Amino acid sequence: MAVPVRTKSRRRQQLEEAALYPLDWVEERSGLVGALKYFLFRKVPGDISWGHTLGSATLTAFLVQAITGAILAMYYKPHPDTAYESIQYITNDVTLGWLVRGMHRWGASVFIILMFFHMARVFLYGAYKYPRELNWIIGALLLILGMFEGFTGYLLPWDQTAYWATVVGVNLQGTGPFLGPFLVNVLNGGAEIGVDTLSRFYSIHMLLLPGAIFALIGLHLWLVIRLGVTSQPWSPEAAGSGEPEEPRPAREGLVRPARSGGSE
Amino acid sequence: MSVQRKKSRRVVEREAQFKQYRADVQSRGKPFYPWAMFHDAAMSTVVVGVIIGLACVWYFTSGEDPHDVGWLGPRYAEPADPGTTTFVPRPDWYFYFLFYLLRIFKWPDSVILGTVGIPTILMILLFALPFLDVRRERRIVRRPVAVTALLLTAASMGVLTYKGAVAEEATAAGSEAVEQLIEEQNLPEGVRPGLELFLRTCTSCHTYAGEGSSNLGAPDLTTIGDTGRSVEQFMQILREGPGAMPSFANLPEENLRSVGEFLEASKGAG
Ligand code: HEC
Ligand code: HEM
Repeated sequence: MAVPVRTKSRRRQQLEEAALYPLDWVEERSGLVGALKYFLFRKVPGDISWGHTLGSATLTAFLVQAITGAILAMYYKPHPDTAYESIQYITNDVTLGWLVRGMHRWGASVFIILMFFHMARVFLYGAYKYPRELNWIIGALLLILGMFEGFTGYLLPWDQTAYWATVVGVNLQGTGPFLGPFLVNVLNGGAEIGVDTLSRFYSIHMLLLPGAIFALIGLHLWLVIRLGVTSQPWSPEAAGSGEPEEPRPAREGLVRPARSGGSE
Repeated sequence: MSVQRKKSRRVVEREAQFKQYRADVQSRGKPFYPWAMFHDAAMSTVVVGVIIGLACVWYFTSGEDPHDVGWLGPRYAEPADPGTTTFVPRPDWYFYFLFYLLRIFKWPDSVILGTVGIPTILMILLFALPFLDVRRERRIVRRPVAVTALLLTAASMGVLTYKGAVAEEATAAGSEAVEQLIEEQNLPEGVRPGLELFLRTCTSCHTYAGEGSSNLGAPDLTTIGDTGRSVEQFMQILREGPGAMPSFANLPEENLRSVGEFLEASKGAG
């Protein structure tokens, strides 16, 4: 009874081909499917740990900011006469507006904390050393841009805290040599914090900085994939420890799919 | 045309090590999917959960009124008012450590350290780290300097952030303080309105004969009258807001004048 099986498998083959056709189509024209496959199935050191999840956790926090920020932008009105009211409206009246604003507000802190944790992990593992120096520098840029995101976003509710913290913050930047006064002019858009300042901060906060951060994250991840992540330095089977002259006979647990996360 | 330069031993060594790393990962590594991706997804779920949790606690413990603070702070403060006379400038928490530096470094001698010096040094160290520490060693026990530096940095930033968070705000001085200052500082009775306004508005940054809290490196003003400036000149200073000081151009003219007269009369107890 091999015949029916054969026809079925041929039909199935056709179905599969039809289903995969769009993927093949994309792959043929862009190579993106192959790239995705490479990304997903590339090898990573066998001893990576929970510490290694902090980078992607930071990315998640940033994506939360991007999504909630886009929704907030639909309701927020960047003008001194309307900003405060629109914030009140979002928080108290818009359906689930409180959740979106709350997530954006607290997500900002979580994002910053995670960047610091991630940085501490990288430092502790000595992961900034050759050949990953450049990725440390890109990361440091991300940290600074992230903090500027916080600074510019803080003004937007246009309440007393926001206003006076920004007055003082901008003045402080103005005390810097050379660039200081210039920065103040760029940020304020005038001598005083007012209409122009608010729209500038808004534009910087929702277009300029996030754009730069997205681009740098892209580069950052490109380098992570290209160079691979470091092993735990203290792990006995750290990849590239240079210790085993000959590749040691692999330990059993490494040949079989791991039983656990192997986080230790 | 290629100029053959001999690679230093360090370069040869590190290249070999990275090659070894690549080979090790190929031979005994694990695929990113599903193994590492599972951990990433789990951690990210926790992160989103924490963010939603914070948003809920913040919203459900606070109210529509700016004074209904809840556990995590109010939903918003009072609307911004450039003409206000009482305010406490306070940045978001991750700037507290910088903010607190300005309480340590005081105007005029060392405030530049707090506003520019230390932040610049920190930034340079941050970017230069991979070039300062070029040893190959990654094991923690063999990097005592790096680990100590990390612990010290983390501890001092933690302490500064904490101190910035609990830093004493200027408490509006009571009327006894006004009487006492007039007496002890030999102030003429006429500057009373200016003194009162000063105590409400300026002592969040400036100290005056022990009143107020020093902030942002602002100078003590107990003997500011000794600088020989006129009332008009002081008013001009207030309108301009030198350095980190905000401009008070939005205050009514007569208020500016009364503060100016008070400053002009401040020549200290002696
Ligand atoms: C946000 C903090 C802050 C507040 C509030 C503030 N100042 Fe200042 N003030 C400063 C700082 C910082 C400086 C030093 C500026 C510089 O770098 O030159 C300063 C400088 C001054 C000076 C010049 C001192 C000198 O010797 O040149 C005077 C006068 C002065 N403030 C008066 C006042 C008065 C009056 C008020 C209240 C209406 C006030 N300040 C409110 C921060 C503040
Ligand atoms: C927007 C912020 C950031 C995002 C989204 C991000 C994301 C990531 C991700 C996903 C990885 C893969 C490995 C891991 O997760 O640990 C990584 C690795 C790395 N990151 Fe970041 N990162 C950010 C900020 C930073 C900062 C502030 C630094 C340091 C200054 C930094 C330095 C590095 C380095 C050196 C690596 C390589 C680590 C290794 O090979 O083990 N990153 N980053």
